[in-house]
Amino acid sequence: LSVAVPSDFGPSRRLRGVALGAAVGAAAAATAGGIALAHGQARGTSSFLAATTIVAGCTFIAGGIVAWLRGPANRTGPLMVATGFVLFGSSLAQANHAVPFTVGLVLGPLPAALLAHLILAFPDGHLHSRWERIAVACAYFDAVVLQVLMLMFMGFENVSGGPYPRNLLLVRDDMRVHDAVMGSERAFGFAVALWVGVLLLRRWRAASMPLRRAVVPLFSAGGLVIALFVVAFIAASPTPTFSRGFSSATQIALAAVPLAFLLGLFNERLARAGVSDLVVELGRMPAPGQLRDALAQALGDRLLELAYWMPESETYVGIDGRPVDIQGRTGQTVTVLERRGRRVAALVHDPALAEHRELLDAVSSAAGLALDNEQLQAELRAQLEELRDSRTRIVEAGDSARRRLERNLHDGAQARLVALSVALGLVQAKVDSDPDAAAGMLDSAREELAAALNELREIARGLHPAILSRGLEVALSGLAKRSPVPVELTVELAARPPEKIEATAYYVVAEALTNVARYANATAARVTVSAEPEVLRIEVVDDGSGGAAISPGSGLEGLRDRIEAIGGHLELLSPQSGGTRLGIRLPLLREGRS
Amino acid sequence: MQTLLLVDDHASFRAVARTALAERFAVVGEASDAASGVALARELRPEVVLLDVHLPDEDGFAVAVELASEDHPPRVVLTSSHDREDFELLLQQSPARGFLEKERLSAAALAELVA
Repeated sequence: LSVAVPSDFGPSRRLRGVALGAAVGAAAAATAGGIALAHGQARGTSSFLAATTIVAGCTFIAGGIVAWLRGPANRTGPLMVATGFVLFGSSLAQANHAVPFTVGLVLGPLPAALLAHLILAFPDGHLHSRWERIAVACAYFDAVVLQVLMLMFMGFENVSGGPYPRNLLLVRDDMRVHDAVMGSERAFGFAVALWVGVLLLRRWRAASMPLRRAVVPLFSAGGLVIALFVVAFIAASPTPTFSRGFSSATQIALAAVPLAFLLGLFNERLARAGVSDLVVELGRMPAPGQLRDALAQALGDRLLELAYWMPESETYVGIDGRPVDIQGRTGQTVTVLERRGRRVAALVHDPALAEHRELLDAVSSAAGLALDNEQLQAELRAQLEELRDSRTRIVEAGDSARRRLERNLHDGAQARLVALSVALGLVQAKVDSDPDAAAGMLDSAREELAAALNELREIARGLHPAILSRGLEVALSGLAKRSPVPVELTVELAARPPEKIEATAYYVVAEALTNVARYANATAARVTVSAEPEVLRIEVVDDGSGGAAISPGSGLEGLRDRIEAIGGHLELLSPQSGGTRLGIRLPLLREGRS
Repeated sequence: MQTLLLVDDHASFRAVARTALAERFAVVGEASDAASGVALARELRPEVVLLDVHLPDEDGFAVAVELASEDHPPRVVLTSSHDREDFELLLQQSPARGFLEKERLSAAALAELVA
């Protein structure tokens, strides 16, 4: 037996030893079988059946060793090797000595159970659900426990084709019990086989395209074998010749199972050839967004998604810069791609690919440079996208501020002035005839006028605080004075910041204090403004109820847009436990006031 | 009767103020910006200057400082349509005698501030 071990797999020395031992054992068993075949024939068994058993056993062991070396963690390999040896062992039922004869009898139905286990555990070597585990347990129970029980009551005196060696398990030759146990063993075996069939069908229906491609050979070969086993097992054989021919057909189909598995391996080799195509493709510097297509092609996963990691916002975005949610995808698996220890992107792919970690690694390292490029592009687009959004929000905020202003003017000062005009007309009419009444009217007219003036002042201040021309401290102290919540203001500035920074700082504090008064339930607030050579720092702290958040459409969002529009940064700390701290950094540009 | 110079860029306010203050002040001149206000003050030497905070060229606080450095500085009262609160900090530092919100302007109120 020669086993090709690809050099990059690097299995442990111990595993190589086990593989070598298995190979030697298989060779010895096959040789022994061959010698037995050449030197004698037991009880009229066809030599063809014996030969097919040897072939099936050898292919299982060889395929198992290849699989084992390829994926030491995958249980499929050892399971296949075991199946091969059990096949050899079951042929001992042809022996002329009592011990091997009995062993052969016991092992007879075991390959079917092992095969069911093997197929259900494909491709990762694990059983995938409780139902699968129960099905496999039942198969083993049927093949071992019921078989032994059956043999305990089976004498071979009256069985045709004898003479047979002694059945060492025999307790009592009782055909009635034997028939009953064998009947239930067959019925139960049939039920388990049906169950396995249903489970395979369900997995097939749930499987994605790549997984389906991978399991086609195994499912078809294995399914055929199980079907043949079932028929051979439950059908009362009409003639010995038919029975033997049927058994041979089963063994041949069985020998095809490891080949089907190897075919799966070969398929992956083909897929890896796709990696070289990918390298060639990437060499041509694909247009933005084509990396995903190239990767999808190389990995054979049509639905593959590529999401780029944005380190700043700690989110994933697509090549268009829009956020991508990679969590909670049903039927897809996420693999994070790293370059030089730095997270670059995530592949959202078919779960079947997770079994081919080397392929994923090969593809992602081949795509390395292109990945870097696309990540940068995605980052740029994400920033542009954010910029576009915030610009839209700023424009909308301006529009809605104008609408609010118009409404305030219309409902407030304008309405009062109209009323005032009417009242003055009345005063004019009364001033001669009823001077006392006219004087009273003038009093209320004055009150109305004062209110109108107040409203106009508020509006004017909201439009642009004229006082800002006297400096930030003066303007902020006015704000602090008007705040219903007591404010402790500290401004430490060596020089006046640029005009637009002052204006932004003023609006930030104005909005923050409005929020404090409106929502925070605070008893006190503190505003601190200080400057470093290149940064103006503003801190607004209150002792209120906390729990503030920058939600869409909120005043805080507008504030953040404004701050970021001039290259600043806003930080909100507002725990549910209480208290809110707004930290703002504004860049102090080198050029002076314009 | 004290002499008074009006410095305000709104002609309508100057007209109203002139009438309102007539019973106790003799308005000797009117200026509509800071520069001409300072020039007129030097020329006319009024005892009182009613000075608007918002002027087209310079603001009233700066003019008040300038006038205070004259040989015979007039008594300056600042006025504005804005709240007193807006200017609290500036008023504390200003050499002006006081602040009078425009809507509260009357001869009696001004006389009280410059007394």
